[in-house]
Amino acid sequence: MATGDSPCIIGKGTRIKGNLTGAEDLVIEGRLQGHIHMRSHLTLEESADVEASIVADALTIRGKVRGSIQVSQVVNVAGGAAVQADLKAPRVAIEPGARFTGRIDMDVPLPVDL
Amino acid sequence: MAGTVLGTTIMVDGEISGEDPVVVQGTVKGRVELGAPLVVAEGGVVEADVTTVSVEIAGSVTGNIQARERVEVRTDGRVVGDIKAPRILIADGAVFKGNVDVEG
Repeated sequence: MATGDSPCIIGKGTRIKGNLTGAEDLVIEGRLQGHIHMRSHLTLEESADVEASIVADALTIRGKVRGSIQVSQVVNVAGGAAVQADLKAPRVAIEPGARFTGRIDMDVPLPVDL
Repeated sequence: MAGTVLGTTIMVDGEISGEDPVVVQGTVKGRVELGAPLVVAEGGVVEADVTTVSVEIAGSVTGNIQARERVEVRTDGRVVGDIKAPRILIADGAVFKGNVDVEG
């Protein structure tokens, strides 16, 4: 890697429209519209404004998100985050102060006779 | 360096714009429009028309480049497309195919 272990980041002043894929941890501080497919940990910082369908291994949300979210491990919605999304993940943590509108599907095994 | 760093495994298909400097170590397809410098690092691949302040290319760019200040194609850099900028630097060993327009 050219610049060593510098973190992978989409800065505050950057806007992306389209598809984003990858397999390394990524921090988004800027704006993104489209699809995100990461086989890694994705962090959306306070300044992030994301309107996308998101697929990731793990997700931390501190900013603004609209769309659909599918995560294979854990989602952390921090206080101050604003989420408007349908969320599918085995583990979800929502901190006090977070705003959340949408469905959460933790894929809970239901009793057969239900 | 502050701004945006797209690592080796990152692939963007679409449009990147903004006022942050951007370093591409992965792959970008589509369009890049920045009010800041763009660096295409070694191993970085850009298949896009690029409009920026300046570009430094050690990777590969396929597409037309327009820079307000300068374009530098480094030794390992590879460009296929037209370059338009007031200052253009092509290093020995760089691969380039296209038109050059150094504005007066």
